[in-house]
Amino acid sequence: MNLTLTHLFAILPLIIVGITVVVVMLSAAWRRHHFLNATLTVIGLNLALASVVWVYFAGQGAVAPDLASSAVGFPTLVTPLVMIDGYALFYMALILVAALACSTLANAYLEGLDEHREEFYLLLLSSTMGAMLLVSSIHMVSLFLGLELMSVALYGMAAYTFKRRVSLESGIKYMVLSAVASSFLLFGMALLYAAYGTLEFASLGLRLVFEDSVGIWTLIGVGMMVIGLGFKLSIVPFHMWTPDVYEGAPAPVSAFLATVSKVAVFAVLVRFMIMSPTFDTKLHTVIAVLAALSMIVGNLLALGQTNLKRLLGYSSIAHLGYLLSAVVALRAGVTDGGGELSFTGQLVLETTGIYLATYVLTTLGAFGVVTLVSSPSRGQDVAQLHHFRGLFWRRPYLAVILTFMMLSLAGIPMTAGFIGKFYVLALNMNEELWWLAGTVVLGSAIGLYYYLRVMVSLYLAEPGEIQRDAAHDWGQRSGGVMVLIAALLTLLFGIYPQPLIDLVQAASPVGY
Amino acid sequence: MTLPLIVLLPLLGSLVPLLGARAGRTGSACLTAILPLCALVLTIFLSVSVFDGQIVRYSLPWVPQLGLELAFRLDGLSLLFALLILGIGLLIIVYARYYLAPEDSMARFYSYLMLFMTSMLGIVTSDNLLLLWFFWELTSISSFLLISFWTHQSSARKGARMALAVTGAGGLCLLAGFMLIGKIVGTFDIGTILDSGDMIREHPAYMVVLVLVLIGAFSKSAQFPFQFWLPHAMSAPTPVSAYLHSATMVKAGIFLMIRLYPVISGTDAWYYIVTLVGLFTMFYGAYMAMVQYDLKGLLAYSTISHLGLITMLLGLDTRLSTLAAVFHVVNHAIFKASLFMAVGIVDHECGTRDSRKLGGLRKYMPFTAALATVAGASMAGVPLLNGFISKEMFLTESLQTQNLGGLSWLIPALATVGSALSVAYSLRLVVDVFYRGAPRFLPKEPHEAPRPMRLPIEVLILLCLAVGMFPAQIVGPLLDVAMSAVAPNAMDGQDLSLWHGFNLPLMMSIAAMAFGAVLYLLRGGLNSFRRDFLVTDAKYVFEGAVQRATAFCARALDRFDSRSLQRYVFLMMAMMLVLASFGLLRMPVLMGEVPMQPLDPYIIVGATLMATGAIATVYFQRQRLIALICLSITELMVILTFLRFSAPDLALTQLVVSTVTVILMLLTLFFLPQQTPKASSGIRILRDLILAGAIGIVIASINFAVLTQPYETIGNFFTEQAKPGGGGYNVVNVILVDFRGFDTFGEIAVLGIAALGVLKLLNRMKIFVPTTSAENRPWSPEYYPTIFGSVSQVLFPLALMVSVYIFLRGHNLPGGGFIGGLVAASALIMLYMARGVEWTLRRLRVDYQHVIAAGLLVAAFTGMGAWAFGEPFLTSWFDYFHLPLIGELELATALVFDLGIYLVVIGSTMMILANLGKLATPHSPAREARKASTKSTTMEHH
Repeated sequence: MNLTLTHLFAILPLIIVGITVVVVMLSAAWRRHHFLNATLTVIGLNLALASVVWVYFAGQGAVAPDLASSAVGFPTLVTPLVMIDGYALFYMALILVAALACSTLANAYLEGLDEHREEFYLLLLSSTMGAMLLVSSIHMVSLFLGLELMSVALYGMAAYTFKRRVSLESGIKYMVLSAVASSFLLFGMALLYAAYGTLEFASLGLRLVFEDSVGIWTLIGVGMMVIGLGFKLSIVPFHMWTPDVYEGAPAPVSAFLATVSKVAVFAVLVRFMIMSPTFDTKLHTVIAVLAALSMIVGNLLALGQTNLKRLLGYSSIAHLGYLLSAVVALRAGVTDGGGELSFTGQLVLETTGIYLATYVLTTLGAFGVVTLVSSPSRGQDVAQLHHFRGLFWRRPYLAVILTFMMLSLAGIPMTAGFIGKFYVLALNMNEELWWLAGTVVLGSAIGLYYYLRVMVSLYLAEPGEIQRDAAHDWGQRSGGVMVLIAALLTLLFGIYPQPLIDLVQAASPVGY
Repeated sequence: MTLPLIVLLPLLGSLVPLLGARAGRTGSACLTAILPLCALVLTIFLSVSVFDGQIVRYSLPWVPQLGLELAFRLDGLSLLFALLILGIGLLIIVYARYYLAPEDSMARFYSYLMLFMTSMLGIVTSDNLLLLWFFWELTSISSFLLISFWTHQSSARKGARMALAVTGAGGLCLLAGFMLIGKIVGTFDIGTILDSGDMIREHPAYMVVLVLVLIGAFSKSAQFPFQFWLPHAMSAPTPVSAYLHSATMVKAGIFLMIRLYPVISGTDAWYYIVTLVGLFTMFYGAYMAMVQYDLKGLLAYSTISHLGLITMLLGLDTRLSTLAAVFHVVNHAIFKASLFMAVGIVDHECGTRDSRKLGGLRKYMPFTAALATVAGASMAGVPLLNGFISKEMFLTESLQTQNLGGLSWLIPALATVGSALSVAYSLRLVVDVFYRGAPRFLPKEPHEAPRPMRLPIEVLILLCLAVGMFPAQIVGPLLDVAMSAVAPNAMDGQDLSLWHGFNLPLMMSIAAMAFGAVLYLLRGGLNSFRRDFLVTDAKYVFEGAVQRATAFCARALDRFDSRSLQRYVFLMMAMMLVLASFGLLRMPVLMGEVPMQPLDPYIIVGATLMATGAIATVYFQRQRLIALICLSITELMVILTFLRFSAPDLALTQLVVSTVTVILMLLTLFFLPQQTPKASSGIRILRDLILAGAIGIVIASINFAVLTQPYETIGNFFTEQAKPGGGGYNVVNVILVDFRGFDTFGEIAVLGIAALGVLKLLNRMKIFVPTTSAENRPWSPEYYPTIFGSVSQVLFPLALMVSVYIFLRGHNLPGGGFIGGLVAASALIMLYMARGVEWTLRRLRVDYQHVIAAGLLVAAFTGMGAWAFGEPFLTSWFDYFHLPLIGELELATALVFDLGIYLVVIGSTMMILANLGKLATPHSPAREARKASTKSTTMEHH
C-alpha cells in the first residue's frame, strides 16, 4: 500500500511527538537549560494533544462511504501495523494528558537535581511515543516495538536519580525483569506466528476462530503473551517488581509508570483480546484467576505498608486486577453475529475506558502530592506514612487533595473512582461472573481500610516532630496546578460523569 | 420542585456555619437552624398531599447510562423519617450550642452535622436505589467526620475508623445487592422495584440479593455480628451520639429493611435470618448494657438491643409486627435521644460519665433527674409512656408466631426476658445515677444545666407523654400513612390505644417489670460474670482480626516481597514453566507433520560447540573476561549456523555487529572489577540449575513441536521478485535498498541522529582511566602494544579495501552498504585501539558529522533523483552495460543509495565508539596527584 498524506495526517500525533523528541534532544545538546527543555516538551505534548482532537474531528466529519478512497475516515489503516480509530485516539489523548502531567511534575521535582536534568524529557517523550504506538497497534510487530520503545526509556527514567541507591536498584530490577517478560512475549508471538502464519490481530482472530482444533497453540502462545503483558500490568504473580520500582523510582516516574505504561499496555491487551478472540475456556479461567489473585493479594499486601509509594504500588496491583476482570467478560464472545461488536464487547470497552481514565486522574493526583512534598536534593523521596502525619495542619489543601484521591481510589461515591468501580461491578454482574464480582467487593472492602489509614494520618497533629514539607508556593508551580486540576476533574467526573461516558462511547468501535 | 429542596436546604446549610463563623456561638447555632427549619416547614407543607394518599415525586436525569437519577419521593414512610430527622436534628442544634466547649470549632461541628442531616434526608427520600446508596455512603463519611470530631483523642480516631470500615464494607455489599436488584428488575427506580417483589423473590439470585442487602442493613444498624462498632463510636461528642446513634444513622439500616420490605420479605429465609439475628442482638445488647460502667456505653448497648427488637419485629413478618416496628422506631428515637442528652448533661456538669463515681445527682440537678427518669421509664416500658405501647405490640406479636413449630413458645418467653433486661438496665441508669448513693471523686462540682440545654429534652419528654397517653390521636395518622407505603391496610382493625384489658401481653409486661427489678438487685453477680466474658469483647476480635491479617501479610511480604531480584526472576520463570508445561501436557503428540532433516557432522559439531560455549559462559560467569570469550564461541556458532542454512548476509551482519559489541563490552570491563563476587549458596545454585534445566527442556520441546508443524513462507515471493524488480541477485540487499528503500532511509536518518545525540550528550562527561583493576592489580603500563599497532596499520588499508569490495558487490552477492560500512568501522576501531585515540585523531582528521551528513544527502538525492523522471520518491532504476575488458556491468541507482547507507554507518559507528573511547582520559586526578608527589620526593632526594 502507498503511504499518502491521509495516512500521514492520521498519525500526526505520533509524528509530532517524534519531532518533539528530536527537537528536545538537539536543544539539550545545544544548550543545557532546564526550563527551555521542559517548555519545549510541554509544547510538543500539547500540540500532539491538539492534533489528536483535530484528527478525531476530521475523521468524524468526513466518514467516507468506502474506506478505499483516500478521504480521512475511521478507522484509518496506516500500513498493516497501525490503525488510527476512535479507540486509539482516545487512549492517545489519555496517554498524552498523563505524560503532560508527569512532565510538569518532573519539572518541579528535577529542580532539586544538580545536573543532567534535560535528558529526562527525552526519555519521557520517547516512552510516551512508544505508548502511543502501542495503543494504535493492530499487529504483533508494532505491539512489540511500541512496548520496547516505552519500556527501554522507562528503565532509564526509573534509574534517573542514579546517585540514590534505591533509584538505581529499581531501574536495574525493572530492566532485568522486563527483559524476561519481553522474552516471554516474543516467544508467545513467535509461537502464534509459527502456528497460524500471521502477525496481524485481525487475521489471527480469523484463524483462531476457524482452526481452533489446534487450540494448544492458543493456550501456550496467547498465554505467554498474557504473561508478558501481565508483567507490565503488574498482575499477580508477576507483580513483584511493582512496589520496589514505585518506591525506588523518582516520584514523577512512578506516576508515569502507574499511568502511561498501564494505560497503553491494557489498551492494547483489550484490543488484542477483542480482535483475536479466543474461545479457549481454560485461558479465560487462567485470566480470571489472575485477576482475582491480583485483587486479593494486592489489597492484602497493601494492608501492612508504611510507605505511601509502596502502598500505591500494591493498590495499583489491585486496581489492575479489577480491570482485568473486565477482560474475562469477553469470554462470551465479541460479535453479535452480524460482524458488529456485541453488547458485551461494547460494555467491556466502555468499562476499560472509564476505569482507566478515572484511575489515571486519581493516580496522578496522589503521586502529584507525593512529588510536591519530595525533592531529590533531600535524599530519599518523602513517602513514609509518618512523613505525611499532620500534613493537614501544614498544607491543608494538599492534604485535602490527597484525602480526596484516597477516597477515589477506594471507590467512594462522588469521586471518579466510584464510576469506574461501578462499571466493573456492573459488567461482572451482567456477565454473571458472580465470584469475580464478589472478589471485587471483598477487595474494595479491604482496600477501604488502608486508604482510610492514610487519610487519618494526614489529620493527626504530632507536635514537635520535624516534618518534610512542600514548597510554600507549590500552588503556583506547574506541578501544583496539575495536581489541582486532577483533583477538580476527579470531583467533576465523580459528580457528573456524563462527559467522560460520552467520550468513551464515542471512542468505542475498534476495527469493527 | 419543592421536594428536592428538603435535601438541598440542609446541604446549603452545611456552608452556612462556615460563613457565619464570626457570629458568635449562639448566632452560629441560630444561623445553622434556619435552613433545616425551612426544610421542616416545607416537609409539613408537602405532608398535606401525602396524607391525601399521594406520593410526591420529583426526578431529574443525572447519569442515565448508570441508571442514576436525581429522583426523590415523599411517601408516608419517607415523611415519618424526614420529620424525625429534621425535628430531632433541630433539637440537637440547640443542645450542641451549650454542650460544646468554647474552644471547639462550632462552625466545623455544625457543618458536619448539616452534611449528615443532608445524607440522612437523602436516604429516606431517594426514589432511586443508586441515589439511596450514594447518600448511604455519605452518611458513613459524614458520621466518620462527626465521630472523630475531637481529633486529638486516639479513641475517637480509632472509633471513627472502625465505624467507617464496618459500615463502608457493608455499603459495598449493599451496592452489589442493589446492582443485582437493578439487573433483575431492569431499573433502579424504587417505585418500579416496589412493584416487582414477586419477580425478585422468584429469581434464582434472590438469596444473594437478600444476604447482600441484609449485610448492608445490619452493619449500619449495628446488628450481630456487626454490632461492635457502635459502642466504640461513643467517643463522639454526646450530641452526635444522641443524633446518630439513637435517632438517625443506626435507623438507616432499619429504614432500608422497611423500604425494601415489600420486595424482599415474605420468605422463609427472611424470617429465619432477620428474626434470629434480631433476637440474638436484642439479648446480647441488653446483657452488655447491664454490665457497662460508662453511661454512654450502657446507652449504646441498649440501642443495639432495641434495634435488635425492631429487626426481630420486621422478621416476624406479620402486618402488625411491621406496624410495631415502625412505631418503635419513632418511640425509640424519642426516648433514646432524650436519654443521651440527659447523660450528656451529667457528663458535662460532672466531668465524668463513669457510673461508679456518680450517684445521688438528684440533689444537684433535679430537673435533669426528673426528665431522665421519665425517659428511662419509657425505655423500660412503663405504662402511660410511649415505650409501653410499642412493647405491648411487640409482646402481642411474639405470641402469634408459629414458625418454630413446637419451640414457638420460646419466642414470647425470650421476648419477656428481653423486656426484663431492658427494665433492669433502665433502673440501673436512672436509680444508680440520680437516686442512690452520693457522687465520689467528681472532677467538677455538679450543678444544674442551663435552661436552654434542657429545653430539647423537655420537648422530647412531652412527646413521650403525649404519645404514651393519646397514641391514636398523635401518631395514628402518621403511622397509617407510613404503613401504606410498606404494607397496605396494616392499620385495619388495629387499635392504637393504651388499654386493651387484662390479657396475656399485659401479664407478660408485668412479669417483665418484676423480673427486671429482680435482675437489677442481682446486678453484682452479673458484673462478676462479666469479667469472664470480657475477653470476647468484639472490639478485640475486630482489632485482633485486623492485626492478624496485617501480621499474615507481613509474613507473606517477607516470603514473596523480599526485594530480591533473584527470587522475582525465579518466581516468574516458575510461573512460565507451569503454564508452558500445562500446554505441553495437553498436546497429544509432540512431533508435527514436517519430516526431520538429516543430521550431518557439521551440524553436530556446531551444536556441541554452541552448547559448550553457553555452558562455559555460565560456568565462568564470575570471571568476566573468560565468560565473554566463551560467549563469543556461542555467538560464532550462531553465525556459522546462519551460513550453513544459507543466510550469508545475515551471517556477515551478525559477525560484524557481534565484533563491535564485544569491543564495547571490553571497553566497559576495563572500568569494572574483573570478577563477580560469589553470591549464591550451593543449594540455590542447584535449585536454579533444576529450574533452568526444566525450562530448557520445556522450551526445546515447544520449539521442536512448532518447527515440525507445516508452515508457509513469504521468502519465495522476494526471491522471485528480486531480479526482475530490483535488478539484483542478493535478495536481502534488494529488499533493503529497493523494495523497502524508504524504511532504510528512515533508519539511517535515525542512526545519524542518534549518533549526533550521543556526541552532544556525552560532551562534558569524563571518566578517569584506572591504573589498577578493581582487585588492585596494576594494568599493564603498555597501553598500546607495538606488535598490535604495526599489524593493525598494515591491515588497515586492506580492511578498507575489503569493505569497499563488499559494498560494491552487495547488489548481487552477499554484502552491501550496511555490512561494508561496519567492516570499515571495525578496521578504524582496530586502529584506535592499537594506537590510542589521540594518536589516531592527530592523523585521521575526519569529521564524522560530515560523513554522516554526506551519507544522508547522497541517499536523499538519489531518492529525489527519481522526481526528475516523474517517478515517486526513491523509485529505482537499473540497466546493464557492456564495457570492454571488464565485461557486463550493472548500474543501478540503488547502488548510489547504498553508498549513502555505507557512509552513514561508518560515520555513526565511529562517532559513537570514538566518543565512548574519548570518555576515558588518562589524566586522572589521582595520577596527577601521585605524579606531583613523586616529583616532589625525587626533588627532595636531589
